[in-house]
Amino acid sequence: MTGVPPTAVGTGRRFGRRSRTREDAFDRPRFLKLYSGLVYLYLFIPIAVVVLFSFNSVKSLQSFQGFSTQWYSDFLNDPTLRESLFVSLRIAVITMVIATIIGTALAIGLVRARTRWSPAANILMLIPLVTPEIVAGVSALLIFSQLGIQLSFWTIVIAHITFSISYVTVVVRGRLASMGDEVEQAAMDLGATRFQAVRLVLLPELWPAIVAAGLLTFALSFDDFVLSFFTTGEDAQPLPVRIWSAIRFGVSPTINAIGTLMMVVSLTAVVAAVLLPRFFGRKESGIKVLTGQEGG
Amino acid sequence: MESATAEPVEPVGGTGGGNGNGEAIRLENVTKRFGEFTAVDAIDLSIPKGEFFSLLGPSGCGKTTTLRMLAGFEVPSEGQILLEGDPVEDVPPYERNVNMVFQSYALFGHLDVTGNVAFGLKRRKVPKDEIERRVAEALELVSLGSRAKSRPSELSGGQRQRVALARALVNRPAVLLLDEPLGALDLKLRRQMQVELKQIQREVGITFVYVTHDQEEALSMSDRIAVMSDGRIAQCGAPEEVYEHPTEEFVAGFIGISNLLEGVVDGPGTVKVGTGMRIAAPLPGDCELGDTVQLSVRPEKIAVDEDIEEGMVSMSGRVASRIYHGVNTQITVDLGEGAHLVALEQQTYTASADDRWEEGMAVRLGWHPENCLVLR
Amino acid sequence: MSDRAFWSRFLLPGGLWLLLLFAVPICLVLALSFGYTDDLGRAVYSNTLANYTDAFDPLYIPVLLRSIGYALATAVLCLLLGYPIAYYIARYGGRRKHLLIALLVIPFFVNYLVRTYAWVALLADEGLLNSALKDVGLIDTGIQFVNTPYAVIGGLVYGYLVFMILPIYASLERMDGALIEAGKDLFGKPSRVFLHVTLPQTKQGILAGCVLVFLPAVGDFVSAQLLGGPDTYMVGNLIQDQFFAASNWPFGSALTVVMMLFLSIWMLGYLRSAAREARDPVAAGGV
Repeated sequence: MTGVPPTAVGTGRRFGRRSRTREDAFDRPRFLKLYSGLVYLYLFIPIAVVVLFSFNSVKSLQSFQGFSTQWYSDFLNDPTLRESLFVSLRIAVITMVIATIIGTALAIGLVRARTRWSPAANILMLIPLVTPEIVAGVSALLIFSQLGIQLSFWTIVIAHITFSISYVTVVVRGRLASMGDEVEQAAMDLGATRFQAVRLVLLPELWPAIVAAGLLTFALSFDDFVLSFFTTGEDAQPLPVRIWSAIRFGVSPTINAIGTLMMVVSLTAVVAAVLLPRFFGRKESGIKVLTGQEGG
Repeated sequence: MESATAEPVEPVGGTGGGNGNGEAIRLENVTKRFGEFTAVDAIDLSIPKGEFFSLLGPSGCGKTTTLRMLAGFEVPSEGQILLEGDPVEDVPPYERNVNMVFQSYALFGHLDVTGNVAFGLKRRKVPKDEIERRVAEALELVSLGSRAKSRPSELSGGQRQRVALARALVNRPAVLLLDEPLGALDLKLRRQMQVELKQIQREVGITFVYVTHDQEEALSMSDRIAVMSDGRIAQCGAPEEVYEHPTEEFVAGFIGISNLLEGVVDGPGTVKVGTGMRIAAPLPGDCELGDTVQLSVRPEKIAVDEDIEEGMVSMSGRVASRIYHGVNTQITVDLGEGAHLVALEQQTYTASADDRWEEGMAVRLGWHPENCLVLR
Repeated sequence: MSDRAFWSRFLLPGGLWLLLLFAVPICLVLALSFGYTDDLGRAVYSNTLANYTDAFDPLYIPVLLRSIGYALATAVLCLLLGYPIAYYIARYGGRRKHLLIALLVIPFFVNYLVRTYAWVALLADEGLLNSALKDVGLIDTGIQFVNTPYAVIGGLVYGYLVFMILPIYASLERMDGALIEAGKDLFGKPSRVFLHVTLPQTKQGILAGCVLVFLPAVGDFVSAQLLGGPDTYMVGNLIQDQFFAASNWPFGSALTVVMMLFLSIWMLGYLRSAAREARDPVAAGGV
């Protein structure tokens, strides 16, 4: 036998590396690994239940009897549910477009404008991010009722936009702050007015962040419940609001089917947000764009 | 209200417009203050057309601020800036017939090389076929014809620099401003680019205003140099003049090694230095007995030991340190009373700088009095 | 036009929108909290404090305290569940780090309602968990899982866990590996390295995570509604009631204001801590 120090055998560590007197659980990856595996299990079991039972052949969430896609066809053939799906999609798209435009402009203004209103604008922009949704819902309900506006599709859109602007601003600002303004100066030096410099040079440079922010907004709006709940009228009900009513009525795998489909839609939006910068020929990773780390 | 689309504007200071007397740039009493801080202090400058002019100085001396005022990114607090005879202090950068090459190149990442170079022409609404022709010309000029379709991210530092140059030159500006453009390149590439830039400037005949802190760069490339310090111009002149006849202590020290000896005027042509020795020196007419002066001798004008000739002033001292530079060896000689002089032994085809001197050895230094400068 | 004027224009659309559609409505909530409902059930603006005295009525105080308690428990549990896994991924994830984190986040793309609903299915009296336990023979009759505080807290934890994990992960990622090496030299035992080096360095991440979990959890009503009963009512349920079932908007507004005031204390505390960290990272919690 070669001279292997006995205590090194079976500890899974390269021998001679550190003093082997006492190894705490903290640094032994195995314990952490097990624990993490359990957490993953905890996170995914309900999801597995949702997806599995969406394919259940009987109307039960307790016993799985066989594979069937009837709940999906039920969902897609049900006119009110289908309508809700389109309502959710339309709201998400409109919110995405408008909130992205307003939020990007706000980000540009916050980074570039040096006025005494800037700190106030900054705080105003940050507060929605830390405001609980129920407060947002209540305040939206009050302003609409005060102005005599009846709750409808557009009240939901307006409320969604109000709360999406800040997300867009934060994402775009992160990217903008790490870009210098030398490129805009170069554009001006070459004959572009300030506005042209913004349009022709600044916005293209910001584009990955803008797209990522937009898709994030889409996902958040599509999934939103509390805010929609407070601002929904009689006519248009987004999908999550319908789910809420459905849940109160009782068990049905249709809800699981809806939930699974919504998950796919939201996931697609976010995956696109992460991968899209690559398609623009940039080398940055989408995650870094979203968190504003990459300067480009 | 700023228009969203620019009508085809003839830039101010266009070539041929205004008389200017063959003068490309004139600065009159230009001052720039940032709050309490004065970055540029009442400078006057005149740059004739076609000159390669450098602004040289350490960081914070105001050279970049001056350049930015020429470009239009800063507005002077006081004074006038004339571009080919036209005052341009109130003219924004996009209306000046001036283009700039930025230190970081500032290329447009979302456009390819052609898109970058054509940018300025498109803004001026130049017709398409002319744009194509001029872009091709500009890329030929900087030897980048093969990379017309590449994106900036695919290019090396040196190539990006050329794109920045082509992008600026294609507009045929009256003046080209360059803000330390070679700073990010390695030494060899920098030397190569220095030669190329000078060639290009001769070829296109455009006035270049070049900002740098590298005195060798300025000396080798410029027709004239303005040495700046603390917001003012210390001296302005041809490289030979600035190097061989510095008028100020700062200039003598910034360009080359100044080798200063402090002394007191002792007679019509003599100065008494710290060690008590009396040295012959070419004093200017208005020097009076008892004036304190700085004597400055360039190291390359100093002879050591056997090389000392008749008529030279000579002093003795000890070798304090020795630095080998390959092309020469530099020795610092301690003359006593805190006075130091740096002398060189050049490697030549007859002599070689082997260990002739060691630290502590006694040496004699000498120089012709006319090679000594008197500064106050 | 000066630079300042030019760039300020960009602030206008967003600034105005947020001012008119966010700041003003919140002021409305504050204003209405001083109002009352008339005989026709309509909300009237006034200047009474009745809603606030009602809010602190012995009937409602337990609800407020319960909300705080549940949210606190949620934050603690999220920390205990979330920190180790964030640590594991950050430290041992290697090249698969991004994949592991993405995997972690995927469950949260299922709608919150549907996710919580799944727990109902799992924990119901005839639910999957009870059925499984019965099948295995561990129990005879079903255990009451739903309608208990544990179920509600469990739902909250499940709902907000990701908001604890991500900031902690981010701060672990940002941590300089050299500090751990230095710590190993100084402290020797890994547990002491963790306590004295890693934990303080990730303090900001932990704080951010706690804020992102605690604050929204206080106002949550979905978990309590689906997984709980009248005994587990939270302030969010109360508020929701006032605006829909009971139609007592002024009282609902007062409750909202009370909740917001309580939350702002923590919010300000967090912002101050974050500002202090930005100015002086070493003093705020470095090694």
